[in-house]
Amino acid sequence: MAFVPIYILILAFTILIDYFAGIQIERAVGSRRKLFLIFSLIANIGVLAVFKYYNFLNKNFSFLLHGFGLKNPIPYLSILLPIGLSFHTFQAMSYTIEVYRGHQKAEKHFGIYSLYVMFYPQLVAGPIERPQNLLHQFRERYNFDYHRVVEAFKLIVWGFVKKLVIADRLAIYVNAVYNHPEHHNGMTLLLATIFFAIQIYCDFSAYSDIAIGVAKVMGFKLMTNFNRPYFARNISEFWKRWHISLSTWFKDYLYISLGGNRVSIPRWYFNLLFVFIVSGLWHGANWTFIIWGALNGFYLVFGIITYSFREKIAKLVGLDQLPKINRLIQVLTTFGLSCFAWIFFRANNVRDAFEIIKKIFTFKGPIFIENPSMIIYAFSGVLLIFIVELKQEYYRGNFSFFNNKNWIVRHLSYSFLIILILLFGVFDGGQFIYFQF
Amino acid sequence: MVKLFMENIKKNDFRHFLFKMFILLAIVFLLDYSIGNILSYYYFKQQRGSDYLTTYAIEKTKADLLIFGSSRANHHYVPDIFEKRLNLSYFNAGRDGNFLFYHYAILKAVLKRYTPKMVILDLIHGEFSRNPDSYDRLSSLLPYYKSHPEMRSIIDLKSPFEKIKMLSSIYPNNSSLLVIAGGNAFFSKKKREDTQGYIPLSEIWNEPIKNEVRTYKYTVDSTKIKIYESFIRDCINAKVKLFIICSPYFWKSTFTDYSVRIAQELAEKRNVVFLDYSQDSTFTNNVNLFADPQHLNDKGARIFSTNVVDTILSTLGNVKDEPSEIFLKK
Repeated sequence: MAFVPIYILILAFTILIDYFAGIQIERAVGSRRKLFLIFSLIANIGVLAVFKYYNFLNKNFSFLLHGFGLKNPIPYLSILLPIGLSFHTFQAMSYTIEVYRGHQKAEKHFGIYSLYVMFYPQLVAGPIERPQNLLHQFRERYNFDYHRVVEAFKLIVWGFVKKLVIADRLAIYVNAVYNHPEHHNGMTLLLATIFFAIQIYCDFSAYSDIAIGVAKVMGFKLMTNFNRPYFARNISEFWKRWHISLSTWFKDYLYISLGGNRVSIPRWYFNLLFVFIVSGLWHGANWTFIIWGALNGFYLVFGIITYSFREKIAKLVGLDQLPKINRLIQVLTTFGLSCFAWIFFRANNVRDAFEIIKKIFTFKGPIFIENPSMIIYAFSGVLLIFIVELKQEYYRGNFSFFNNKNWIVRHLSYSFLIILILLFGVFDGGQFIYFQF
Repeated sequence: MVKLFMENIKKNDFRHFLFKMFILLAIVFLLDYSIGNILSYYYFKQQRGSDYLTTYAIEKTKADLLIFGSSRANHHYVPDIFEKRLNLSYFNAGRDGNFLFYHYAILKAVLKRYTPKMVILDLIHGEFSRNPDSYDRLSSLLPYYKSHPEMRSIIDLKSPFEKIKMLSSIYPNNSSLLVIAGGNAFFSKKKREDTQGYIPLSEIWNEPIKNEVRTYKYTVDSTKIKIYESFIRDCINAKVKLFIICSPYFWKSTFTDYSVRIAQELAEKRNVVFLDYSQDSTFTNNVNLFADPQHLNDKGARIFSTNVVDTILSTLGNVKDEPSEIFLKK
């Protein structure tokens, strides 16, 4: 992942192709429409394949040939992955697909189309917008609206708190442990895994909040990308709450195109697994991401297969009579499953991931604490996000500091967040994790 | 009157926003200024710990001999051996997890105040490696940014935005609340004893010994080399006797560390004594002398300190224009 100015030409290349492809798809009839769509998809996926997957595929090809005692004659490319390429490509593809499906008129104004693909708040890490939601907004006029701008700034400040105070603080511990798993015991690795689950959520949702907030200041409305995913009761619900713009992208353009659930049961399971494996691959050219995606697909299929059995067990032990406890168990189980999958997402390689899993299940301690104050800050951050999200999830109507009727309480609350950033924010480095995708 | 003013403000959304923003910024400024100054007050009131030792090195010590370096400097140079045999007062300005930038900033602050007679700079393997972390670590010097202008050029290396960040009064003590509280709390008196900055380690390394040979590849950071050269130059200009030392490591290396090689060449160019103990057979693979592969325990530190003093004395004896007696107090 890098920002190299010359790489702007890649964006220019795909923008030009998709712009003309959109117009041609709309004008053409019959099979020519499909031809232009395929042309656009090949251009977009081709760029992604070269910059993101070429060396990965080549490396695996070399490994395969090595098994037969052969040398790979194809050279490796010394290229960097342009920042936000995966997001940009998917947003561009959603445009031509929607034009092809007739849900969106082709954009004739080249500047507006370019703005759709390069809208800076969400260019590098989403939310991945749909043309129906965003394109028309560029033609509207926006006046300054006090309440809209205030709401937008609230989102931005809260995003910075999540990123600087929580995610980057947790990252210090997670990086120390995950970069040297061989030096750490099971309890430490378990704690680092839980911390990573919170870190990646706070990191990515923080970027989304800031992007949505920045767009909102200017009057643009971007789609919601996160909806308190760790309160999901099952993996299916988790994916309806996590990175919503990507999940719905895969659902709309891949899962449904494969037939969705309106196919035979084995094919349905295959569709789910396939979509999640592709989703894993979208995140990164590494087997760790592919396994992470496959694991999530497996969770979904397993959840469907065992649904009635689990319902019976719940009835048998009387959990259906205790909805709150039942919900708690479901939420904790879903969180545990997603944490397990995150091991593959965060581990530096597959071997490390298996080593970590093996160690975690030994439950050996004590927990690694290099600096007690860092751990206290980390736990405080986790507690803060838990309380805020718990309130949003279950007690939304109750007392609120940030939407309080008294403006002094509101102002003190905003100030508190800014002071929190200055006091406990991590200001050294700390890229957003999803920039690398 | 106020009501009328507010009603007028609310009539225009943008004016209303600017007014509320002004109030918010005023509250934030007041809180930042108050909390920042309280933190700063208590930061300098600490009587124990790393921050206290840094303040002592920058603002108080008048020791004849100063030791600079990372945690390895803290644990490897035993004060009484240096004091008795060199007859010099001693202070260890080493700090855990800090590198050349930190050492040079402290040296600049010290030289502004007084001139020590001797300085020992302890270098680590990979001292010149390109590593963003070594810039981040400069945050330990942020509390001195305003009061010590001589250190600013070094602290500014941390990031291009330090000057902007320093507009906040809290920022210099960012993430330090608990450490400051601990440094001022009554229980901090029970913490491990620091002797003039020297921190003895009593542990004996009990991990299984692997016949491992370490090699370490990295890219060199030219800024670090420049800082190293400045460190040497400032000592020479101030007529401070400088010894640069790479103290022992447990592991054997296949070849001399690249940073050590560069450091040695640059030191010798300026006629500065460079002593490389990193592969000294008295120490390598000797578990009894190490607390961990990077750090000697007190027993190892005493043997090492004696060796260093022997070498310093013999070196000084060989230098005709600067006899060793120059350091000996009658």
